[in-house]
Amino acid sequence: MNTPIGGQRGAWGKTAASGSSRRWRQLRLAATAAFLVAVLAGCVTAVKVESGQHAVGQRLVFNLEGPWNQIKLPNAGLAEIWTMEGLPVDQLLVYSGLKDGEDLNAATAAGPMQGQKRSFTFKSGMQPEQIVQLFEGMFTRDGSTFALTKLEPASFGGSHGFRFEYGLTRKVDNVQLSGLGFVAVDKGELFAIVYLAPRLTFFPRHVARVQQMAGSAIIRHGSS
Amino acid sequence: MQRREFLGFACACCAAGWGSIARAQSESAAAPGSVADWKVPAKFTRPDIATDEGGLWALMDREETRMRRSPFLIRDQALRDYVQSVACRLGAEHCPDIRVYVMHTPMFNASMAPNGMMQVWSGLLLRVENEAQLAAVLGHEIGHYLERHSIEKLRDAKSRLAFGQMLGLLGLVGAVGQLAMLAGLLGYSRDQERAADRIGLQLMHRAGYDTGEAVKIWDNLLVELKARPDGDPAKNSPLFASHPPAEERRETLARLAAQYPGGVSNEQALLDVIQPMRFDWIVDEIKRSQADESMALFTRMLAHKAQQPDVLFARGETQRLRAKGGDMEAAVSDYLAAAAAGGEPPETHRGLGMIYRSRGQAADEKASFARYLEMAPGAPDAAMIKSYVEELNG
Repeated sequence: MNTPIGGQRGAWGKTAASGSSRRWRQLRLAATAAFLVAVLAGCVTAVKVESGQHAVGQRLVFNLEGPWNQIKLPNAGLAEIWTMEGLPVDQLLVYSGLKDGEDLNAATAAGPMQGQKRSFTFKSGMQPEQIVQLFEGMFTRDGSTFALTKLEPASFGGSHGFRFEYGLTRKVDNVQLSGLGFVAVDKGELFAIVYLAPRLTFFPRHVARVQQMAGSAIIRHGSS
Repeated sequence: MQRREFLGFACACCAAGWGSIARAQSESAAAPGSVADWKVPAKFTRPDIATDEGGLWALMDREETRMRRSPFLIRDQALRDYVQSVACRLGAEHCPDIRVYVMHTPMFNASMAPNGMMQVWSGLLLRVENEAQLAAVLGHEIGHYLERHSIEKLRDAKSRLAFGQMLGLLGLVGAVGQLAMLAGLLGYSRDQERAADRIGLQLMHRAGYDTGEAVKIWDNLLVELKARPDGDPAKNSPLFASHPPAEERRETLARLAAQYPGGVSNEQALLDVIQPMRFDWIVDEIKRSQADESMALFTRMLAHKAQQPDVLFARGETQRLRAKGGDMEAAVSDYLAAAAAGGEPPETHRGLGMIYRSRGQAADEKASFARYLEMAPGAPDAAMIKSYVEELNG
């Protein structure tokens, strides 16, 4: 059975392969091949993120009601990359304290990161729409198309922030994805979680978990 | 040839498209020739699957099936019929074999596969000013198709592959050989591009189009590429990556076009059919985040026709997002001009509101956001904008 990067069957229910279509089998086969190459090269690791309280960086804390996988890739940028089903099936980008002038760029399930010259620099004075545009630019760097479907104020980590919903049509395989993000800028630093998964099956399967995670987030103020 | 290499070749041929015309060598360096000598070949019959050409067709058939299902395919029937009709007008007796697919991709390109599948990207349709310019691009691609250039490339690649494999036995030298072979797969040869140029112009003329419009496409592309921060398109764009110098090539096209005076451009016909999609394509262009190129494009469009509220908005939005030097002032000016012209996109007022917000001009911000919400109450960011207005209301 093929397993996507980071997808760990049995730990928390079914993974993408169960009942999958031919497309998904092909996608997973490609992901597995990439994974095996990367593992053999010693450059990718997958770590289980356990339920319970979990800190990302020094200031962002979550209370997780279920486990995740964290994927560690070389040159993956400043975001932590989490997944339930394995890359490139679904992906959660977690930013904890991105500073003014730092690059949002991360390896994403939307398209390749390496070889791209564009930068997505966060500025502490950015408006919500500008921050969303940074994510949009990052997700569409391979020619994928992004459509914002909702942008509204929301609390995140105890700070005044916003949430956004979006759709993405991935160029490489024409898969339609849905996404959800929660963002806050606290003391000039960006805190965010941005989820992305195929519109059918996987996004509905995990969106409640992402919302729970966002609702449990706390941005610490003491240590900064 | 290995299947993977074969597929790579096929994709390279498709991807080469119109962009690869830049690789054609200067006509001034070679005899321009008279295109009048060239005759449209008889319709092609489907090659035997056991042949290399048959294999290439089969691969392209599979790609065509994928394209038909693609969410990037633009399914507007009027647009599809229109672009197909232009291709048919050019292809004449080959019309039944040409199948055009308009794809939602914001770059300038078109390509044609040996099985008759043609791709036209939305970025091209946004950029051409009339039907004759569209015909120039399609005619060039049909020229490659009629001359079966991709088959020539396939056979050239096969011979290179055999040579490369022989070099592969020699280690590092073999690697160099493989690289050289791969380089050869990227696009058509200069002679092939030259031929496609000539045939394309002849097809345009035969179909009654103004061949001079082919030159204008080149001019317009150059303006965009020269606007890039990295400057010289000959050095930095794959579109212009090889000689001859772009200006020289332009002159060559002009000289060839002069052999075929007259013809129509059909500007309104194109504008009418793309109108329902045009704003989406303009937004796609803004989202490319290539502000300098986009500014050159929108400025050219406004120079062609000044009172276009959607393009005025687009230029204003591009400047607001670029936010350099006097961009904000210029953005306000364009937004206000769009509003004054009437029929402006609602986002014009959102853009104004954002600038006023950044400047602390509360009254103007409130008025602009109120207008935006009035025009687009169901906008995805309506809740966010309302929160700004509520902040102002205290």
